[in-house]
Amino acid sequence: MAKYVAFRLLAAIPLLLAIAVITFLISVAMEARGSIAGQVCGEGATPECISAVEEELGLNDPIPVRFGRWLGDIVSGDLGSSLLDQNTAVSALISERIWPTISIVSFSLLIGITFGMLMGIAAAIRPGGLADRTISVVAAGVIAAPGFIMGMLLSWGIAVELGWLDPVGYVPFSESVVGWLKSITLPSIALALPTIAIVQRQLRSSMANALQSRYVLAARARGVARTKLIGRHALPNAMVPTVTVIGFRAAAAIGLTTAVEIVFGIRGMGEMLVTSIITRNVTVLQGGMIVVGLTVITVNLLVDISYGFLNPKVRLSR
Amino acid sequence: MTGATVASGPEPIEAPLESAAESPRRRFWRRMFRNPLAVFSMLWFVTLVVSWLAPDVLATHDPFKQDVTLQRLFETPSADHWLGTDQFGRDLYSRVIYGAGFAFRSIFIAMSIAVGVGVPIGLFSGWKGGRVDRAIMWVNDVLFSLPIVLLAMAVIIVLTPSLTNAMIGVGIAMSTRFIRLTRAVTLAEKEELYVDAARITGISTPRILTRYIVPNLLPALVIQAAIISGAIILIGATLSFLGIGANLDDPDWGVMLNRAQSVFRQEGVWQIVPAGMALVLTVLSFNLLGDAIRDALGRDAGNNALTVTKRVEVAPAQTEHAADAVLSIRDMDVEFPGQGGKISEILNGVSLDVRAGETLGVVGESGSGKSMTMLSALGLTPAPGRMTRGSVQFDGRDVTNLSEAEWAKIRGKDIGIIFQEPIAVLNPAIKVGSQIAEPLRIHMGMSKADARKRAAELLAEVRVPDPERRLDQYPHEFSGGMAQRVGIAMALACEPKLLIADEPSTALDVTVQGQILDLISEVQERHQMAVILITHDLGVIAEAADRVLVMYGGQVMETASAHDVFLSPKHPYSRALLETMPQSHDGQGELPVIAGMVPSATAWPTGCRFAPRCGFATDACTSSMPPLERVADPAQGDLVQADLIRCVRHSELGLVGGTA
Repeated sequence: MAKYVAFRLLAAIPLLLAIAVITFLISVAMEARGSIAGQVCGEGATPECISAVEEELGLNDPIPVRFGRWLGDIVSGDLGSSLLDQNTAVSALISERIWPTISIVSFSLLIGITFGMLMGIAAAIRPGGLADRTISVVAAGVIAAPGFIMGMLLSWGIAVELGWLDPVGYVPFSESVVGWLKSITLPSIALALPTIAIVQRQLRSSMANALQSRYVLAARARGVARTKLIGRHALPNAMVPTVTVIGFRAAAAIGLTTAVEIVFGIRGMGEMLVTSIITRNVTVLQGGMIVVGLTVITVNLLVDISYGFLNPKVRLSR
Repeated sequence: MTGATVASGPEPIEAPLESAAESPRRRFWRRMFRNPLAVFSMLWFVTLVVSWLAPDVLATHDPFKQDVTLQRLFETPSADHWLGTDQFGRDLYSRVIYGAGFAFRSIFIAMSIAVGVGVPIGLFSGWKGGRVDRAIMWVNDVLFSLPIVLLAMAVIIVLTPSLTNAMIGVGIAMSTRFIRLTRAVTLAEKEELYVDAARITGISTPRILTRYIVPNLLPALVIQAAIISGAIILIGATLSFLGIGANLDDPDWGVMLNRAQSVFRQEGVWQIVPAGMALVLTVLSFNLLGDAIRDALGRDAGNNALTVTKRVEVAPAQTEHAADAVLSIRDMDVEFPGQGGKISEILNGVSLDVRAGETLGVVGESGSGKSMTMLSALGLTPAPGRMTRGSVQFDGRDVTNLSEAEWAKIRGKDIGIIFQEPIAVLNPAIKVGSQIAEPLRIHMGMSKADARKRAAELLAEVRVPDPERRLDQYPHEFSGGMAQRVGIAMALACEPKLLIADEPSTALDVTVQGQILDLISEVQERHQMAVILITHDLGVIAEAADRVLVMYGGQVMETASAHDVFLSPKHPYSRALLETMPQSHDGQGELPVIAGMVPSATAWPTGCRFAPRCGFATDACTSSMPPLERVADPAQGDLVQADLIRCVRHSELGLVGGTA
């Protein structure tokens, strides 16, 4: 198992490099459109200002040199400074914004995976039964509803009408644990609803496959009871494709949290990214992309490692 | 031992559910229109297209016309404004209608890019294969793993925010999905024989791709496109909602929601309803459409081992059970409901008896109902099949209508089953030792440690070398022969009264076959176990069986002692089976085969089911089904030993078979 994990870790390195290249290309493309120096100098930029900024940012160097320098900075933890405010380091900005986002995304995944699995199993036990049909219809509806619409409905229903929670705002964990939990509950549920539906659908279908298998028939022929057929024989095998889907969903949730953060007035990574696009603040966007890329790679690693636990074949063959 | 195989391949237990009479296109549309969700999506789709092409026909107001009179802002639905008004007094209904155009434009831009970029790259990558393929797929996987919203943002910041640019970003991100799909199909199709043939005849590559590969790609592409269209609208709306998509005055659904977002807490939740509903219904109908197309193209996979088929009244058997049999089946019918209420009768009037210490061999070609008989007798009829008539008695107890929980106490304890595919019946995720220990823990109440000890002993008994180490291995580390020994160890773990061995040696090589059969008979002698040996290998029967049951077309054709079946088969089918044995052949010329094929369960011939392939058939054979008759044997009045035959001509034919 340790060998398998080490192999997976090594395999993540070129992936990181690829994400770095993609991110770097954004600034190359923007520069080709003459955007970066123009952005720093502001409207009515003089040619002098532009050439001075280009000199300062090293935009005149050959692209491979710039990439090497940029990559070196990133590896040493320097994501540059905001194009609009040279005194604000992007890494400082991100370290301030990342906690609300991490809180919401992880809590939503926890909710999504737990309820998604429970409902997936409930639906698979009796295909075509009442539970299955009800869950399927609700899941189809929920998948079609984006998180921000769900967020607005929750904010209105639970917070404004019922007054149970605050409709907007984020309380840091360090300030108050209960307050933190309360502030991330609604955004996390909004983000989790589609996750529940997606996990449920995948698990239902892979459970149905596992339950049709010969090994489940054989276990039944050995007198294995219903609950054990589901929990011990079918579930571990059905979890393999489900974990893949959970991985995709985790990556998607990192992107989709943006709109949910805005609904709940939470100043997280999402709000930072949107603002950086509107103000064309490319260094901030790049910093954000690097962090998101790192997170996605970590999620993929976790998924790969859990394959190793779920499928003995994977663990031993590498 | 010797192996004579009548027909190869494991007997399929799935029942044929559909006849192929209908054309695929007709069946597709019939299924689509019978699916209410698909009809709903298609209707919604038509509404959207009308809203897009002729918005003025449906709209009641100018979607941009503001009315800033205070009373006209944030209205709820009224006769004038069907869906109320927004913060500028604009008519929400008309704006929603015009929004359809933005949705379709989004799909059009993003889908053209996604398909236009994705399909050619996927075709190229899959067709080229090798290193080029690996490099392309690696880059694609990197992009695939990144959030689409983020990739779109990267494109938007370069190109400046607008709906078109947002959709270019989404299209590029979505192309990764089409690259994956196209490449997978191309890889698979490339290996097909007709593609090879086309290549050899010198048809150019682009022509092969467009003529042979793309048509096979289309169904998967259409399903994927429907679902991705939903995702495109969803992401487009999200980007517009974030203010980096459509222009903030446009009647785009995402923009409308953005506007509603800032006011709904004060002005009421209604503000988010019109655009929200339009968005959700549109995405929903695309998803439903994708699902419906998939269902209409494929077969439905709704049933599994836990599906409880509606209990039907099992009609009683007409004949008495044998008192001394361990397992006794009488007049068993098993049916499968098919498409359109058509019913396939898989088993008809099956009766059999097996006593302690006796081996009953069950023979017949693939599809004759041998495996189904055993599964149904043990309450394991695969859904949606069901037993509709007959009676099953096990160890003196009527088990015809036992519940699943009651069956669980018998299966594995008093009845052991060995299946035909030794590896497929082992759970790939569970250690072999735990699987063998399972019946011991369930039925004998053994502790974990005791069960493990006993499992090791069992493995040693079935001659698996190094049992202690083997216990901690997973099924994929076992060869077929070793896995079958594990299967035998599991079946014999609780010293059952009855062992059902379904083709226990078919998948194995000849030397292993003999060892497996010897193992079974060894245990049988020790415990006076009854054995039912299902096989299409007559050599196995000749060696191991005391009595023989010949099945064809879901019916019993003949049952007699092994001696009688081999020396004087009474049924023409039994005789035909014997003639296909290599042992009965003189070595000159070709080995005979039974002409024709086993008919399908949806289309049994009238009269004797073997008649169309029988050399002795007369008009009497095809007019009505021959009954299963007792062969008069004055020495034995007892029904158990009574030989049975289903052939109207058996007495006049007096067939004489070969020797084994």
